[in-house]
Formats: sequence, structure tokens, C-alpha cells
Amino acid sequence: MRTKIILSLFILFFVYASGFAEEKPSPLRLNQLLKEELSLAKTPALYFIFDLEGKTIVLKSRGMVLQEWKIESVRSWGDQPLLKTMTLVKKSTLFPPKRQKIKPGAAEEGDTFELDALELKDMPSTYVLYMSEGTYLYIRSKPEKFISRVGDIGHLFNWYVWVPLRNLGFELQKKPFTAVDVKLGNKEEAQALYWSLADGIKGIVFCL
Amino acid sequence: MKKNKILLLSLLGVLAFFILVEIIAYVVAWPRRTAEKAPPGGKPGEGASVDRLEAENSSLRKKIKALPPKAVYIVVDLAHNALYLKKGNETIRKAVVSCGSGSILEEPGGRRKWVFDTPRGEFYVKSKITGPTWVKPDWAFIEEGKEVPKNPEERLEPGVLGDYALGFGSGYFIHGTLYTRLLGRSVTHGCIRVGDNDLKVIYQAASIGTKVYIF
Repeated sequence: MRTKIILSLFILFFVYASGFAEEKPSPLRLNQLLKEELSLAKTPALYFIFDLEGKTIVLKSRGMVLQEWKIESVRSWGDQPLLKTMTLVKKSTLFPPKRQKIKPGAAEEGDTFELDALELKDMPSTYVLYMSEGTYLYIRSKPEKFISRVGDIGHLFNWYVWVPLRNLGFELQKKPFTAVDVKLGNKEEAQALYWSLADGIKGIVFCL
Repeated sequence: MKKNKILLLSLLGVLAFFILVEIIAYVVAWPRRTAEKAPPGGKPGEGASVDRLEAENSSLRKKIKALPPKAVYIVVDLAHNALYLKKGNETIRKAVVSCGSGSILEEPGGRRKWVFDTPRGEFYVKSKITGPTWVKPDWAFIEEGKEVPKNPEERLEPGVLGDYALGFGSGYFIHGTLYTRLLGRSVTHGCIRVGDNDLKVIYQAASIGTKVYIF
């Protein structure tokens, strides 16, 4: 009996903590979203929209979708993200991709050709996007191999133990805090998102 | 024995404290929604106010829809080294290309530094050239470990940019290549290299002012 109660409580907790309920956005929220998007689309810069309700991430320019990623699952801690234009302040990851330094004259010396390039495969698939307005987006992909499954356990520990504590710290300092965990379909999608979102890019995180 | 008991109790105390803090953190961090502010002219949900908002939303959607180019445009996906020639939602041509390597070159002595990225954002075709000649910039000589020539004639290198080049500003071009086996890889100094057949189609379809979106 006790086990059943504990199990039910756990299920209830995970369902609730899994994020935002699936409803239709109110005309007012939609109005705010469209106004923010129009102000972004009027500029020549690229921008993103994390639509947590529609479970999509889009990279856009002039209102046109350049790239779209499907979100597998989403959950959150803290305040609802503010519906206003945010800036990607920085990307944080355990092993950031490193740019190669060209040695002047090296290509002339050697007979073999080595490609010193930063490519999609060099991008991380688990990282945090630090947004302005105290919003943190934890991006990861569906674990495919044994190592990524182990890494995912580490991520879950971080999400359920460390992130709430961090939120508490922010709350005590009266600073805004929103953490959103976004899981993408596969490793390459998470890598492409890392690649496409350059530091300083602006966008919107939308939920009901 | 007593020492062990004290140690155990201390550990349990620390654990209990940690659990208590974690419970408080869970309560505080529980996902919560921001209350909706009433729009000017009424509370959300009121009939007239909702109608007015829906009408405004429809007008905003139309304004956003009117922004994309009506004519042919070019989209370059740097992550996948792919170029798309498009009109509206239709893809006219997909080409495998080579984009910026992201490598860094420093001039010996550290006076100048170059990062070989392809720029991202919205651009437009500023020039169209047939039979382009490459005017080698300083970095090309430094990369080869050679001295930068004083005579401008020594910078000219015909034949390496293919049959056509489309300039989109700041010295960046969409052009041809001799290294077709490297198409699909990020190897350039920032320009976008395209294979001969694709380049011809792109060159013919694009005109001065054609929009180029790079991401």
C-alpha cells in the first residue's frame, strides 16, 4: 500500500514537473508573441523562437523559417519565461569546440593534407544556453549510446538536485530564474542547434 | 565506538539538512505561471477585447508574412555545407558547398589576426562577375609563409574562383572551386565554394539585390 502511494506521488510529481500543459495560447499571449516577433523580423538579423507549447525550435529571418528542430520533451523549474525578446548571452558546455590555429607555411611543407576545420561533428550535444532575463535552457539529445546514457544520468542528477538549489539561491537574491530542459530527437540536431545559435543572437522563448 | 556514533550522527545530520534544503528548493522552484496582464481596453477573455486582439493578431501575422522576399533568394546552411536556391517555399536547386573553416591565422609578430568564418545573417548580391580573378589578400601570403608583395600585380591569381562569382559584401563571394573533392566540408576562408554546374544555375537565377540568408 505504502509503495503504491509513494509510486503514485512520484508519477504525479513527474507529470507536474514535466512542464507546461497543452492548451491553446490565449489571444493576449499570441498578441505579445506576434508583436515581439514582428520587431525581430523587421531587422536583418537572424532570430530564434523556442516554442515550448508547439514543441519546436525555429531559426528565422524576416519571418521566414530557415531551420526547424522538433523538441522531444520539455520540463521546467521556476518562473515562466518572460514573453519578451531575449539575447543569448553565452553557451556553456563541458567540452567546448576549439578553433584550429593555422601555422603559417605549414601547408607548403607537408605532403599530406589535413583538414583543420570546425565542423558539425565537433559541436557538443549537451549544453546550457544562458539567456538574458535569467533564463537557462538546458539542451540535450535523446541518449543513443552507452556513454550518452551515463551522461544523461548525470544530467538528470543535475536537473533534479542542483538546478532547484540554484533556483533557491537566485530566489534569495531576488533575481529572476527560469530553467527549461529541452530534449531533442538526436545528437546531430542538438549539435546543429549549438552551431546555429551564435552568441548574441536574439529570440523568444514562448510558452502558455 | 562512541566516536563512530558521533560521526554517523553528524553525517545523518548533514544529510537531513541537505534533504530539508532540497525540499525547500523544490517548493520554491516549482514551475509557476505569470499572471496575464489585462490588455488596454478590457480584461482578457472579455468578448470585445478578445475580438479586438484577434483582429490585431491577424494583422500582425499579415505583416510578418509580407517580410520574406518575393523573388528568388539564396539560403546557406553552414552546419551542413548546403546551399538552397529558393523562391517562396519552393527549392529550385540544392547544392553541396564548402563554407568557412572557423580556423584562426595570426600574423607572425601577432600584429593581425583572422578568423575564417562565413558571416551569418541577411545579405544581398552586390556584384556579379564572370571569369573572376582572385586578388589574393594579405592573409593568403601569410598563410603560405610568404612575404606580402608590394606590387598589386603579384596578388592576381586567375582561374581559381571558377567561371562566376557573386559578391555579397566585405570581400565575401559565392564562387567556383578547383577543389571539388572538398565540397561538403568546411574548408574555406569565409567564401562559399560551389561546384561548376550548380554555380552556373545560381549565377543565372540571381541578380543584383538577390537576398542571401546564411545561418
